[in-house]
Amino acid sequence: MKNMPAALVSRVLRRIAQKSARRVPVASCNYSNDATFEIKECDLYLLEEGPPVTTVLTREEGLKYYRMMLTVRRMELKADQLYKQKFIRGFCHLCDGQEACCVGIEAGIKPSDHVITSYRAHGTCYTRGISVRSILAELTGRRGGCAKGKGGSMHMYTKNFYGGNGIVGAQGPLGAGIALACKYKGNDEICLTLYGDGAANQGQIAEAFNMAALWKLPCVFICENNLYGMGTSNERAAASTDYYKRGNFIPGLKVDGMDVLCVREATKFAGDYCRSGKGPIVMELQTYRYHGHSMSDPGMSYRTREEIQDIRSKRDPITLLQDRMVNSKLTTVEELKEIGAEVRKEIDDAAQFATTDPEPHLEELGHHIYSSDPSFEVRGANPWIKFKSIS
Amino acid sequence: MAAVASAARWLFSLRAAGAERHWRRLCGAGLARGFLHPTVTGEDAAQRRQVAHFTFQPDPEPREYGQTQKMNLFQSITSALDNSLAKDPTAVIFGEDVAFGGVFRCTVGLRDKYGKDRVFNTPLCEQGIVGFGIGIAVTGATAIAEIQFADYIFPAFDQIVNEAAKYRYRSGDLFNCGSLTIRSPWGCVGHGALYHSQSPEAFFAHCPGIKVVIPRSPFQAKGLLLSCIEDKNPCIFFEPKILYRAAVEQVPVESYNIPLSQAEVIQEGSDVTLVAWGTQVHVIREVASMAKEKLGVSCEIIDLRTIIPWDVDTVCKSKESIL
Repeated sequence: MKNMPAALVSRVLRRIAQKSARRVPVASCNYSNDATFEIKECDLYLLEEGPPVTTVLTREEGLKYYRMMLTVRRMELKADQLYKQKFIRGFCHLCDGQEACCVGIEAGIKPSDHVITSYRAHGTCYTRGISVRSILAELTGRRGGCAKGKGGSMHMYTKNFYGGNGIVGAQGPLGAGIALACKYKGNDEICLTLYGDGAANQGQIAEAFNMAALWKLPCVFICENNLYGMGTSNERAAASTDYYKRGNFIPGLKVDGMDVLCVREATKFAGDYCRSGKGPIVMELQTYRYHGHSMSDPGMSYRTREEIQDIRSKRDPITLLQDRMVNSKLTTVEELKEIGAEVRKEIDDAAQFATTDPEPHLEELGHHIYSSDPSFEVRGANPWIKFKSIS
Repeated sequence: MAAVASAARWLFSLRAAGAERHWRRLCGAGLARGFLHPTVTGEDAAQRRQVAHFTFQPDPEPREYGQTQKMNLFQSITSALDNSLAKDPTAVIFGEDVAFGGVFRCTVGLRDKYGKDRVFNTPLCEQGIVGFGIGIAVTGATAIAEIQFADYIFPAFDQIVNEAAKYRYRSGDLFNCGSLTIRSPWGCVGHGALYHSQSPEAFFAHCPGIKVVIPRSPFQAKGLLLSCIEDKNPCIFFEPKILYRAAVEQVPVESYNIPLSQAEVIQEGSDVTLVAWGTQVHVIREVASMAKEKLGVSCEIIDLRTIIPWDVDTVCKSKESIL
């Protein structure tokens, strides 16, 4: 009987501990709530001042960014695996190494803002709200995919995220158009138009710059400079590799794209600039991709293994955040390992779903080509095969 | 010309009507299901894929052009380009990633052999590539531009249709860009989806001033490409990408020409004429042998080769012989 209260207390404590199994047990909570970090100063073009050089990261935010970046990294590696096992066919462009860009951008904007990018989009799809299950199922072309299995790697969309576009540079004018709609509706929303260093040489980007500057559209043009346009290095493709200055009459920022906090602060700064009605702004994110251009490209014929290893060891975005958080006692290595295990489970479940979900019905082959009532009949491979286009 | 065209149209509709009657009989007989309709995917569809099937059928070894070598399609293209650059000192090859050999290895070794001022990369800008090519051609040099995939040709559509095609006409023959040839990988491969599978020849087929050529095999490709390069009109040469490795044939090592705007009757027949180009020629060959075997229908197969200006006479003569 004397032990009853002790037993009761311990049972209650155990239940509390079980409930917050994900969180650290009450007993050893020694974490700081937040920490201030110094971040690299951004190079400026046509701007008087830039984003701040210090930033505060709370524990909650840090864990969130870590989890998101790790999910993107693991998801891309799983996609690599599924591609080699031939569950994913066609073309697959992976963005591991560039996690800080998509996560940092998402951290600096509101969910009601708009984002459009080109084909290296899996990370941005995830940060914009598509679940890993939906992304992997779309890659394997199943019903559960976010584009109903008909889009594939390059064509994933969700609310306020406009893809996922195959032709480089084509998304530039599209993004300017979305920004025009934001300005027209007057809802304080902005549009972030991402493109790569290869696409920076496309005429359409220059056209989009001109229109956005002329009409002061709230558009942030973000150049994800990963040093190579497919297999061509920047110096061999661009007369000027200062992509943040290529807006000419549009102000620009050069940002360290491997540091999620740097990207976050720069995005916030750029977002505020646009929202205040000053017009468009260009951001260059200096980042790197570990994989080749796509799964058909080993990525070694135009760069050295040493270069990739060097970046991995010195500038990996996930390691950078991890070190910062652990060193300033925002978390411990064990807690991060737990998060890693959870992420691994989530990805494995998603991959399981992606490989077992059925493919879309053949009748859906012609759907959504036209919107028409009654449904439009689209011709198939010969004049006597017809598909209904229901939309 | 108009009379021939309208006669051709009437003949086509007659044939089509006859064919449709035949087809309806087939459908009734339930044979159609087995032939051409894709099978409905079942429960184990996860691993089965529906890919259009064809078997490349090589032509017999050509004897009249000298020594031949076994080549696949991309090697025959390289050989044609090699012959061109050797013969014509003003010829240059440019496009995205052509310097290291190209994404389909069509230009392997050419930069080392002819120098970096004759084989060079351009930045990522199709409109710029074609416009730049037109400029080179206008000065009289031979420009061989590569558009990395036919799906990417659309930013250059304006340059091709409005600038290249009309240059000679609008300058009253004072200038022309006839020494421009645009090469581009073309057609479906099964996994290319929206932007690595398109066959855009129809968009150009109604534009007077340019020629559009599509070969069916390595031997045809080399001869036709050399003709395009030497032709005094801007040409677009589409290369069926699925045949780059799959099509292997004996191809002459020296240069030779296959005339443009000439269709080839590959197989004579008496009941129905099948016209195709590129990869589809091989599908049609198989269809013809199936039709012969299962239906007793004798098919004439014509490879159109040049889409515009197309060989009306050969196709019409084919119709006339049936009547």
